[in-house]
Amino acid sequence: MSGPLEGVRGIVLTQAWAGSYCTQLLGMMGADVVQLEVRKRLDSWRGSYDGPMPAALRSVPTAQHAWNCNPAYNSVNLNKRTATLDLATPEGVDVFKRLLVHADVVAENFSPRVLGNLGIGYEVMRSVKPDVILVSLSAYGHTGPWANVPGIGGTIEPTSGMSALLGYRDGAPMNSGQMYPDAVAGLNGFAAVLTALHHRHRTGDGQYIDLSMQEANLMFVGDAALEHVLTGAQRPRLGNRHLTFAPHGIYRCAGEERWIAIAAESEAQWVALCTVAGHGEWRADARFADNAARKANEDALDAAIGAWTAGEGRDALARRLGAAGVFAAPVLDGLEVAHDPHLRARGFIAEVDHPEAGRWPQSGVPVRFSRTPVAVTRPAPLQGQHNLEVFGELLGMSGAEYEALARRGVSGVGPPD
Amino acid sequence: MAKALDDLRVLDLSTSYAGAWCTRLLGDFGADVVMLEPRAGHQLRRLAPFAPDGRSIPALYVQANKRAVAMDVEDGRARPLLEALLREADVVVESYAPARLAQLGLDHAALERLRPGVILCSITPHGQSGELAGVPGNDLTAFARGGWASINGSADREPLNGSAFQASYGAGLAGYAGIVSALVWRDGHPGEGQHVDVAEVEVAASTFAPALLRSLYHAEPHPRRVSADIAAGPVPVADGHFALTISRAHFWRDAMTLLGLHDLAEDQRWEAGWYRQQHREEYVTRVQERMAGWKKMELFDELAVRRVVAGPVLTMEELVANPHLAARGFWAKAADDPDGPTYPGAPFKLPASPWGLERRAPHPGEHTLEVLGALPGVDEPRLRALLDAGVIGLAVAAPQEARA
Repeated sequence: MSGPLEGVRGIVLTQAWAGSYCTQLLGMMGADVVQLEVRKRLDSWRGSYDGPMPAALRSVPTAQHAWNCNPAYNSVNLNKRTATLDLATPEGVDVFKRLLVHADVVAENFSPRVLGNLGIGYEVMRSVKPDVILVSLSAYGHTGPWANVPGIGGTIEPTSGMSALLGYRDGAPMNSGQMYPDAVAGLNGFAAVLTALHHRHRTGDGQYIDLSMQEANLMFVGDAALEHVLTGAQRPRLGNRHLTFAPHGIYRCAGEERWIAIAAESEAQWVALCTVAGHGEWRADARFADNAARKANEDALDAAIGAWTAGEGRDALARRLGAAGVFAAPVLDGLEVAHDPHLRARGFIAEVDHPEAGRWPQSGVPVRFSRTPVAVTRPAPLQGQHNLEVFGELLGMSGAEYEALARRGVSGVGPPD
Repeated sequence: MAKALDDLRVLDLSTSYAGAWCTRLLGDFGADVVMLEPRAGHQLRRLAPFAPDGRSIPALYVQANKRAVAMDVEDGRARPLLEALLREADVVVESYAPARLAQLGLDHAALERLRPGVILCSITPHGQSGELAGVPGNDLTAFARGGWASINGSADREPLNGSAFQASYGAGLAGYAGIVSALVWRDGHPGEGQHVDVAEVEVAASTFAPALLRSLYHAEPHPRRVSADIAAGPVPVADGHFALTISRAHFWRDAMTLLGLHDLAEDQRWEAGWYRQQHREEYVTRVQERMAGWKKMELFDELAVRRVVAGPVLTMEELVANPHLAARGFWAKAADDPDGPTYPGAPFKLPASPWGLERRAPHPGEHTLEVLGALPGVDEPRLRALLDAGVIGLAVAAPQEARA
């Protein structure tokens, strides 16, 4: 491992996206992150034991277990090791406490009651490891009347104020195309752990971090919250438009499902846009004379730009506009992002070898460091892949002791008996 | 109680919303953040919408917990002051195009000479390297190139950007985390600063990772939603919209029972997410017809009792009045502005080193004299001379600063 968190270890109970993304980022910074999984209750992002194999993996001979080949799980658990441990058993709790001694950070995103029910709440953890940092990512936090109300990305988006702001200008509130609030919570949880690590260095003290997905996401639309406080207004859904500047939109290009994002904030960018478009007359058009005029006549502006881009090739146009200093980008789909030359040249998109799924490009570390380089060093782990490795290395557990745990279902691999 | 970063001095040279969010968070956790802005005012002060007094609301949000110095960074006459500020900065945040940063002599090597061990964080649209490094961008282009827009919105319409500033909040937060990561490294390796490189497009693409890999494993791009049903997001109920996003088998059983759809509740095939996805036409209309008879908070409360995930679409008015958030003490006023607006509070609760909103957003150049006057070797006559020469600026009255 390398990276700024080299030497930090997380023993984590995270699952799905929010928690997994938080701890993946810790692993990407060089921390040794061990995810503890429970065979009886699969990480929901592994899917189910009888789930279907993704289409492109059906011809991959190593792809044998659907729960090891779920793209959701495999996309957000890089740079981790995993061990299975049933924390609902006394033996499991005992092993957890022995592991805890070696942990700087514990992270979890269960419902708030779960840790206490398992007998491993923060106070118990602290009695085992006094300076432990525990981060809990839950739907609504661990206090308050909604503390025990469950939630996931798809329900936090509406209850954090995000859905009311997202959508077409003439349409209903929407959720984003995937469970975006999980990503927001995960990034915030990552930042929270780092802040606590720095605090621990200064004081020697760990702490318990209570992260509410609702609150973390509300911060990401906090400008709209402040707008309501100061003006009494609910901001309308903007579609692809900007509050201040025009043009600002996504326009159709030549071909099937080809779209380009174009925006101009300055007069220089507007002039450059008119020039690249070969529509010098737009500059003389009173409706587009300055930003205020363009904003007031945005329907006409979007129509004019859309009529022009419809005959243009998406990628060449984005290059020409970008070179002229105009904000422009192709709308890349999931296959295209994986092959974007810029993201590949920077090493952000890189091939990852997974023991079952095979070799696929994946998105990597979103922050670089000049002194402590970071990289994807491990594919997402197979369920229980590092059981013996982790228990042996950290606890000195013998093969025979592990086999006994596996036989009783406390550890082991695959569907429970 | 001590804040986690109260030993840190931050100089914010950034002009972007992402940079401002990054330094806002540094300030929230205790850093002393000095924001430099042109004498004409920071460009974020132009962002709509505006408060009744004419000030930019987005700027008020992201510029809180900072002091503001009005000084043109690129004016050679200001260079000695800039270097004096840099000599005291533990962290510098900036958003220049990479080539411009070097031209201005503000790259990490140059800063190291002024302040050994300094952490420089660059937050730019496309990062410090690669063919797009010099190409400008914004939230819209980050969500387009990063993949997000392709899955957002409806399949029969144009792809949809996230709501305002989403890529910026993400990149700003990643910058904050990158800086604190570098601090944690420096804690263990004294004197070892570094350059942190955040590309807005990569942070956006990082949060797109599941859809990216799903597209590859399924050999087709993850699509935008094909219909506005409960499988995709909020649907109409009696008094608004409501998301019933089922992710566990018991959520399905209990929700269908509550809605009186017993055949759906009892047929175990429906408990699997992939099965529901493949047979969505067989259930969504029936479920939505039942939901339409419910008021959103009543349905939420009934499902909450059954521990089923559910999401009423809440407006900002409803959130500001929300009893749960109130009980958690979420909303906050700036300590120095008790009559001012209520802000959203901490993104996470760190009891031993808490978040805090100590300062309202500054007026342009509000702290020019205070900050510069405290620099070694700077006295009042010198500041007066720089002021008269138009090198530095002072605060102007609030209503004049907006709508530039």
